[in-house]
Amino acid sequence: MHSAKDDCFIVEGKLALPYQYFAGRTGSRFLISLRDKKIMGLKCDKCNKVFVPPRTICEHCFSNISENWVELKNTGIVTGFTIIRYEEPHQPVKPPYILALIKITGSDTPIAHIVKGIPLSKMRTGLKVKAIFAKKSTSTIMDIDHFRSDEKPKFELGFTYDELEVGMSASFTKTISETDVYLFAGISGDFNPMHLNEEFAKATPFGTRIAHGALPQSLIAPVLGMKLPGLGTVALEITCRFKAPTYFGDTITATGEVSEKIEKKRWVRMELTWTNQKGEIVAEGSALVMPPAPMAQEM
Amino acid sequence: MKKNRNVGIIGVGQTVYSSHREDVNQPEMIHEAVSAALKQAGITIDEVDCIVHGNMELFEMVHQPDLWHTLGTGSYGKETLRVTTGGTTGTTLVCAADHLVASGLHDIVLAVGFEKLQEGHTTGGITNMADPLWGRQLQTGALTGMTAADLIEEFGEERAKKASMKYRIIMDKHAMKNDKAHRRLGLEFDQADDLAVNSPALVGELRMIHMCSQSDGACAMIFASEEKAKKLCKQPAWIKDHVTVHREELFCIFGGIPYLTTHKYAAQKLYERNGIKDPRREIDLFEMYDPSSWWGLDWLREFLLLENDEHIKMVENDDITMDGSFPVNPSGGVIASNPIGATAMIRVAEAALQIMGEAGDHQVNKPVNQAMASGFGGTMWTVLFLLTKEAPW
Repeated sequence: MHSAKDDCFIVEGKLALPYQYFAGRTGSRFLISLRDKKIMGLKCDKCNKVFVPPRTICEHCFSNISENWVELKNTGIVTGFTIIRYEEPHQPVKPPYILALIKITGSDTPIAHIVKGIPLSKMRTGLKVKAIFAKKSTSTIMDIDHFRSDEKPKFELGFTYDELEVGMSASFTKTISETDVYLFAGISGDFNPMHLNEEFAKATPFGTRIAHGALPQSLIAPVLGMKLPGLGTVALEITCRFKAPTYFGDTITATGEVSEKIEKKRWVRMELTWTNQKGEIVAEGSALVMPPAPMAQEM
Repeated sequence: MKKNRNVGIIGVGQTVYSSHREDVNQPEMIHEAVSAALKQAGITIDEVDCIVHGNMELFEMVHQPDLWHTLGTGSYGKETLRVTTGGTTGTTLVCAADHLVASGLHDIVLAVGFEKLQEGHTTGGITNMADPLWGRQLQTGALTGMTAADLIEEFGEERAKKASMKYRIIMDKHAMKNDKAHRRLGLEFDQADDLAVNSPALVGELRMIHMCSQSDGACAMIFASEEKAKKLCKQPAWIKDHVTVHREELFCIFGGIPYLTTHKYAAQKLYERNGIKDPRREIDLFEMYDPSSWWGLDWLREFLLLENDEHIKMVENDDITMDGSFPVNPSGGVIASNPIGATAMIRVAEAALQIMGEAGDHQVNKPVNQAMASGFGGTMWTVLFLLTKEAPW
C-alpha cells in the first residue's frame, strides 16, 4: 500500500563539538591535591562554610576566598543517591551503578561520585564512605576512582524478598577434580565403576570416567545460600535436568537468576543453569527459595 | 520609542580579552567583570535586583551556563534570566536589562555576557545554523568572502583592498590604546602591501589579518533607573533607543540583486524615530560590530545610509580614526577582541564609557553627547543602540 510517507528521505547528520575547559588556578590546585591523594577545600571564614570542590568565590557573601585552603579527610557521608540502570555510551562505568552525593567530612557542599562496595539494594543516605584514589592520575575528578562503603556490618545477610528483583543473578565456578569425585563417592556411597574405574568406563557411551550428576548440581548451593539471595536463605525445592556429562577436569559454573517473585508466600523462584568451560549447558533447572526475613537484619 | 522611565548605564566591567585564560574557569572569569562593574558603579552585589546572563549557545558545550555561573554573576537568590541570540546576544542582553529597568520591575539590573572561545569549537557550533537540508553539509563555518568579492567588483581590486587594509590598521592603532583589547599588533600603514599578500588566505579575499579574533573574556554592565542612576553616578550614559532586526537568510534568495540589509533597515528606523537627519554630524561616535575589515568597511555604508563610495572615502580620509570627524571603534572593535557572547555588549559598553568620559587611553578627544553602538549576529541580524549624555526624557 502506498503511504504519504513513502519516498521521504531522512538526512542523517552528525555534528562534532569538541571542547576544553580551563580549570583555573583554584580548580587546578584541587586537582593537584587529588593527584597527591588529598582532598582540599576552600573555607569562607565569614559564612563558616567549606566548599568542596573549591569555589574561588563564596556563593553567599560573594567574597574571594581563594587563599583559604583547608585539608580534609578522605571520608564522607552520603547525602543522596540514585541507581543508574540504563546504559549510555558516555557513562563512566557499566550500569547498574550507584551515583551519590557525598559530603566530605568537614565540608558543607556535597560532591557527586560513584559509590561501590555495597549491594545496590542496601544503598542508603547516611552511609559512611571513603575515597578510593585512582591508580593513574588523569588530572580530573576521576583521580578519585570511586567512594567505597566504610561500614562493616556484624553479619552480612543476604537479600530480603523486597530487595530482590527479577533479573538479578549470581554464580559460582569450580573445577571438578578426580579427588572431588572420589570424596563424593565416599560421601554418597555411590561407588559406581563408571565414576571410579577407567577400564569399565571405556565401555560406557562416555568412553571415560564422568563425575556423579549430583556433584556439579551441588555447586548451586553456594550460590543460593551464600550469594543470591545469600546468607539466611532456605531452599524449598530444587529441580535439575542433566544435559551433558561432567568429565574430570571440567570447570563448572552454576548460575541462579531470579525469575519470579511469589508475592503471596514472599518466596522467590530462580532459573538455574550449569555450564562447563566450553559454554555447553551441563544442566538446567529451577529453585524455589525463601529469602532471609528483614527481621534478621537486626542481628 | 517612549519609555516608562529613563535607564542609565552606571557601571561597566571588562576582563582583559585574551586567547587563553587557563588561570580562571568560567564563573571566575565572569566574576572579574562583575566585580569591576560593581566597583565602577560604587555598589555591592546586594544592591543588584536582577541579573541577565548570556553567551552563544553550546560554544563551550555547556548546557544552561547561567545556572552554574551563579558564583561569578552573583545571582544567588536573585531573579536571573538567560538570553542567547547568537552574535547579537550582548546587545540583546542590554535590551533586556533596559526593558527590566524601564518597565519598573527592577531598579538596578546587572547584565553579563561572556565567552571562552578557546574552550569550544566555534565553527562546530555555528554549523548548527545552516539549513540542515541544503546548507549544512556544504557550509564552511563562520567565515565568508562574499563582501570582499562584492566590494572588489564595485570599486576595483586595488581601491577595495587598500581601503579594507587601511580600516584594519586603523582598528589596530585604536586597539593599541585599549589595554583590554586582545590583538594589539602594533601595525603601521606602510605594512599594508606586505600584509595584503603574506597574511594567510581564509576564504576568497578574506585573509587572517582582516578577520576578528577568537577571544576569552566577559563584560558586565549595570543599569539603573533614573532616580538611582543620578544618585549613584556623576555621568550615566542614558539609553535613548534601540532597534532589533532579525532575518533568516544572509543573502538575497534571488541571487545578487540589491536588497535591504537588516543594518540599513535598523538605521533608517532609529534615525526616523529620533529625528536624526545627518547621522555623521548628529552622532559623535560609533562602536560597530565589525567581524572583519571587509564587513566593517561595507557596513559603514549600511549604517550611515551613505551613497556610492562615501564609505570608502571615510576610510581613505581618516574620518573614522579616533581623532577623525566620525570616530569608529576607538576600542579597536571586534577585529581586536571577540568573546562572542560579550562582543556586542562591549560595543554598547564602550560607547557608554565614551559618554561617561571613562574610556581611559582611548577616550576620544571631543565631547560625546550622542553615541551609536551595533550588534550583529545570526545570518544577518542587527541590534542598534543610541546612547545619550543627557537623560532623554
